[in-house]
Amino acid sequence: MLSAYLPVFLMLLVATLVALGMFTATSLAGPKKPTPEKLLPYESGSNTTGASHLRQSVKFYLTAISFVVFDIEAAFIYPWAALFRDLGWVGFVAMVIFLAVLAITLVYEWKKGALEWER
Amino acid sequence: MSDWLSIVPLLLVATSGLFIMLADAFSKEKAELALVTAVSLGTAGLVAVGLLASGSALPPLPEVLGSYLAVDELSLFFDFVICLGGALSALVAGGYLREHELERGELYVLIVLATFGAMVLARSTDLLTLFLGLETMSLSVYAMIAFRRTSARAVEGAMKYFLLGSFAAAILLFGGALLYAATGHTDFAGIGAKIGSGEVEPVLVLVGMLMVLAGLAFKVGAVPFHMWTPDAYEGAMTPVTGFMSVAVKAAAFAVFVRILVVALPGEEVASMTSGWPPVLIFLSVLSMVYGNVAAVAQKSVKRMLAYSSIAHAGYILLGLAAASVVGEPAISGVLFYLLAYTVSNILAFGSLVMIGSRGKEAVDYDDLAGVGRRHPYVALPFIIGVLSLMGFPPTAGFFGKYYVFNAAVQAGGGFVWLAVIGLLASAVGAYYYLRVVVVMLMKSPAEGQVVAVPMKSGYVASALAMSGAAVMVFGLLPSWALDLAISAAQKLIG
Repeated sequence: MLSAYLPVFLMLLVATLVALGMFTATSLAGPKKPTPEKLLPYESGSNTTGASHLRQSVKFYLTAISFVVFDIEAAFIYPWAALFRDLGWVGFVAMVIFLAVLAITLVYEWKKGALEWER
Repeated sequence: MSDWLSIVPLLLVATSGLFIMLADAFSKEKAELALVTAVSLGTAGLVAVGLLASGSALPPLPEVLGSYLAVDELSLFFDFVICLGGALSALVAGGYLREHELERGELYVLIVLATFGAMVLARSTDLLTLFLGLETMSLSVYAMIAFRRTSARAVEGAMKYFLLGSFAAAILLFGGALLYAATGHTDFAGIGAKIGSGEVEPVLVLVGMLMVLAGLAFKVGAVPFHMWTPDAYEGAMTPVTGFMSVAVKAAAFAVFVRILVVALPGEEVASMTSGWPPVLIFLSVLSMVYGNVAAVAQKSVKRMLAYSSIAHAGYILLGLAAASVVGEPAISGVLFYLLAYTVSNILAFGSLVMIGSRGKEAVDYDDLAGVGRRHPYVALPFIIGVLSLMGFPPTAGFFGKYYVFNAAVQAGGGFVWLAVIGLLASAVGAYYYLRVVVVMLMKSPAEGQVVAVPMKSGYVASALAMSGAAVMVFGLLPSWALDLAISAAQKLIG
């Protein structure tokens, strides 16, 4: 049963060995003449400017998380709307409660100033 | 409408969470939110205890919720324990935030939401509600730890807890998936029935069970899943540490009990040769020994309490393991232990908050030197708290330990030796608990030492008075609470 996979296994083994062997061979046999230019970080032919770690404003995080929260809200409403008649009043009340909870969080966010970009 | 009667405490907590959120957004005075939080959680707890004590039959839930949430005495008992822990923590937080000029209302919202999650977790009868409750609780708690966001320690603790907690949740989920694969059920009763019928792949069940147990053991902070505990407990503000060590732990143990009894009964999964009892014994012995020994070495009182909470998880796990043999006495012992532990721990952490005023927070044992002589009214609750944690009669902690160890002795066989190990470990524990008492009463502060000055806060004082009274009442008259625990355990086992 498992022996049917032997060729696959052999091919994996050969592929790994070939890849490793090529890397080893080039790093052993290839000439190494490092110059300052070669060691520079390189981006599309132009010199890099500034640090690679930029500080992002935490405002982006707030916007992103609000988007996720209210996007998920929409995602829940679609299947509910598709089954609106089947779910009946129970489904309607459940959705009203769900939306009320979300409305309260929206009011909270608004009042706390999370929706204002400049503060 | 009477269908909803049994989850009224849960609904109360949910609505008060939303209300407090709005109140926080619209009010300037944040200290009153502590009172509102404590009163609403306290009301929910009292409703739960009223329903429990009235003994009336609980109507089944409507079909929408019926298979997801339990309607039984066990969940009402845990509603009470968790709400009590939440309400007292909120009161302590009210004093703490004002004293340390951290007054923001979010903490109270998070306390209520975490309490809600904990109640759902304790009530869950399905892997889906289990995960929902676990995440609602955990996410709120992660944020609560990081509440002091300028403190590197707090952020470190929250980050560690968050990363490890996510892994633990993933492991638990995978275990749940394996149980589902083996049995075709997500509800505990269905899983239990299918395993009992013997038509399951035992390997899948055992591996799934181990993963679920590992995830839960992480939440209760049992060795070897305890790595996050000292850092998270130390980094969090003291009231939050108190909340974590009581409400989170109680909820995790509640679902532990329910899973073991309902989903994993029977020879194949609940015997000493194959199943969870040896796993729990392993966790229990490691936690009891390691928690107590490591707590001795601590300089910081808060860190000592963190390690002691690991040791307490070990004692409770011993009771759970004994439940595989004796059933009801062990489970009621565990329930009583959790109630006693809740009030004692809040008393200890609340006293630690009370002793430290702004800039002069009591952190190490040395900071407590001389407090007993200078401020006896602050030292007294602390002493009662640590004596109860130590298991000194006639406090609540004594009876908690007594019932759990007694159940282990009743279970007979190797469990007697486990009880002996537990007793020896608590004897080690007596050293560091009594050290608090000795330092406060007998040591005078060193030359040039900053002496802790107690804060003046009615909230903290009333929380201490209530939990202190509870520790003494449950210690002097344990029968009332024990009867509730016994009837809850009997109903669960059926």
